[in-house]
Amino acid sequence: MATIDLDKMLEKIKDSQWALADIDWEAPGADKISPEQWPKLKAFMSDLMWIEHVGARGFAAMAKKAPTDTLREIYTYFHAEEQRHANAEMALMRRWGMLEGDELPEPNINLRLTIEWLDRYSDDMPLEVLGSVIPMLEIALDGALLKFLLEEVDDPLCHEVFAKINGDESRHLGVDFHVMEMLGRGKLHQLAVKTIGTVANPKLILGVLAYAPLLNKMRDNIVAMGLKEERLYDAMNKYERIGGRTEEGRRNPWFQIISQHGKMVVNRSHPYHVPVDALVKLTSFIPNRAVGPVPTWVKGLTWRTTA
Amino acid sequence: MTTVVEKAKTAPRKRKATRQGTSEPVKQDVHEVLIVGAGFGGLGTALRLQQDGIRDVVILERAADIGGTWRDNTYPGAACDIPSNLYSFSFAPNPDWSRSFSGSGEILKYVHYLADRFNLRRMVRLNRNVTGLEYDEAAGVWSAVTASGEVFRGRSVVMAQGPLSNPGLPKIAGIDSFKGHTVHSAQWDHEYDFTGKRVAVIGTGASAVQIIPALVPQAAKLKVFQRTPGWVLPKPDFATPGWNRTLFRKVPASQAAVRKALYLGHESVALGIVWNSPLTRVVEKVAEAHLNRQVKDPWMRRQLKPDFRIGCKRVLMSSDYYPALQQDNCELVTWPIARISEQGIRTAEGIEHQFDCIVFATGFDVSNAGTPFPVRGVGGRELGQEWHRGAQAYKSINVSGYPNLHMTFGPNSGPGHNSALVYMESQIEYILKAVRVLRALEIKALDVKSHIQARHNREIQKRLAKTNWNSGCKSWYLTEDGFNATMYPGFATQYARQMASLDLKDYALIRA
Repeated sequence: MATIDLDKMLEKIKDSQWALADIDWEAPGADKISPEQWPKLKAFMSDLMWIEHVGARGFAAMAKKAPTDTLREIYTYFHAEEQRHANAEMALMRRWGMLEGDELPEPNINLRLTIEWLDRYSDDMPLEVLGSVIPMLEIALDGALLKFLLEEVDDPLCHEVFAKINGDESRHLGVDFHVMEMLGRGKLHQLAVKTIGTVANPKLILGVLAYAPLLNKMRDNIVAMGLKEERLYDAMNKYERIGGRTEEGRRNPWFQIISQHGKMVVNRSHPYHVPVDALVKLTSFIPNRAVGPVPTWVKGLTWRTTA
Repeated sequence: MTTVVEKAKTAPRKRKATRQGTSEPVKQDVHEVLIVGAGFGGLGTALRLQQDGIRDVVILERAADIGGTWRDNTYPGAACDIPSNLYSFSFAPNPDWSRSFSGSGEILKYVHYLADRFNLRRMVRLNRNVTGLEYDEAAGVWSAVTASGEVFRGRSVVMAQGPLSNPGLPKIAGIDSFKGHTVHSAQWDHEYDFTGKRVAVIGTGASAVQIIPALVPQAAKLKVFQRTPGWVLPKPDFATPGWNRTLFRKVPASQAAVRKALYLGHESVALGIVWNSPLTRVVEKVAEAHLNRQVKDPWMRRQLKPDFRIGCKRVLMSSDYYPALQQDNCELVTWPIARISEQGIRTAEGIEHQFDCIVFATGFDVSNAGTPFPVRGVGGRELGQEWHRGAQAYKSINVSGYPNLHMTFGPNSGPGHNSALVYMESQIEYILKAVRVLRALEIKALDVKSHIQARHNREIQKRLAKTNWNSGCKSWYLTEDGFNATMYPGFATQYARQMASLDLKDYALIRA
């Protein structure tokens, strides 16, 4: 993969900023959501909006770890852009009558646990872990879900909004994979030793316990919405295809770990699913209040174009 | 191409001639010393020159009044973050400081006191905005041209216009499109009533941490736009007890002792702030404890915790900034600013934050890679061009090829841990020596040798490489290319030692 000039990318990011106020939220087409679609779409949008925050919180942590000022600034923008996507998705929900007043959509418990983990521990994780796992979440969850959405929803405004979001996401993925390759440089034995050191970190193990059931939960949600889970798997395979297309990318141990894990996820007959599906079930019994207070950054979420 | 002096040559004479009702060209006096700027630097230099018997001094001031920084920075809450007993001249102590860290009004009063007490106003020419300096090699005379075309001539010239005297605006798209009110911290609009207004403050540096606590009680809503959080240390600001003032008045030695103690205290802080030492972590721990004690919300703490080593950027001093940020009507916004629109500020999370007024607490245009106006030396060489990749001088005060030109707060004279006025006093005494040498040896000019200047700068840059300022963060101390043309890498005591003697071997002595 041709390496990206991060300085040029930062300029491109700055030049591509858009605001909720650029969109006419009252434009015709809101009635194109059918009554049968409505409840499923509401659940879907709620998940999507919170998935944006998994990425957001990941980028916030990565900004602190970035080895250069340029990358730090890029991640700071990406953090904000993920919040922008969440805000725009809330504005769509509002348009479709799915939100009352300043009500926020409820995240499912697995998303809540993942965000909670990110809030508590992501700042302590090395860039190698975050820089390799965030692309998987972006490509698999964000990417796949957006595709489904555009196939299902006829509201033209939805397409307009997601064209903007996709524009941002393509830049995110470009930088994501560039950084993954960057992280694969260096001596292999050093990369391995560093990885083994991190794998043994109890905070990371907790993260895996949040991440693994999240993927399975999202798969279940997709199936419940009447969509084909293979689409999710296609997106996950894309991670392996793009991430592994260069020598450096393949040398990144975290890429290897995450793609191997991805292979287990997409193979429904793999024994991996027995404990993880059990975890999904188990976590469904956790009441939201047990997770702890909602972080205060949530207060910044809004569907309003101005504040 | 005509030079600034050529352009101006006829205009002032005509003006004077008209005034005097004669067509005879008026011969301009050559003053012994010309000074640009009537702030602490200019007035302090004039004061000491006068005490030394050098009375033919003219100070050119661009504004309608004296006072420099403290005339311009009158925003609510403006104060010095160095204790007043140290932020004043040792040769003109003030026993009556009302607080440990006095506000801008009181400091300005002290500047006026200096001007009155030492009869300096007679030297000051107000509303003279210097637009260029040029050296006449044959005559050994400097000419200062003002915006209105007047020319002032002097044997020696002191550039005391101040390093932080021109307000700087950030490069934000659409900055001119905002239809509401805008204010810069260094050009405060005292007519504007902030009561009940929706206000944005852009910037979280030294001015912002003072403005924000003062504006929060007035504004209906105040949003603070932060790009990079700074390290904040608590500020032990208290009213000076009456007995203390009486003591200082009756026993001046007691004030000198307090000043010495404050000086040494600040010197010791250099160990933590200027260089990376075990003390650096201690100072960071103090700042972290201050943050953790005043801010309980983990996300806000995270937003306010710096990622760079303390000292790399200017250390902030405030005990009321963090509490102000947490008031119900105040909000900290850390999203990058995408653009300024007609009604407010659009940030990258896609929201337009709307305001009645935007306050730019965005600091100053620092001339660390140029000069504020053209300065032409021997053979028409231009200082701004020579400095375009970073300013360099000898001992921060003289530049080779610019004889008899002196600077207060020239390149690499900035303190990060001690009072600017302590450094300034060393500079002033050095200027005094130079002017005295011209008189005593009856020579035309002193011009520092270029190889001496180059050697000095190699040494300075070598020492700077080991400091926290050069440890990787972006700050106004550095040029775009990361060259540090601003700070002095050492203790104030070392700087004073550097400035203590003027070695004639370092200079070419130009005789008439």
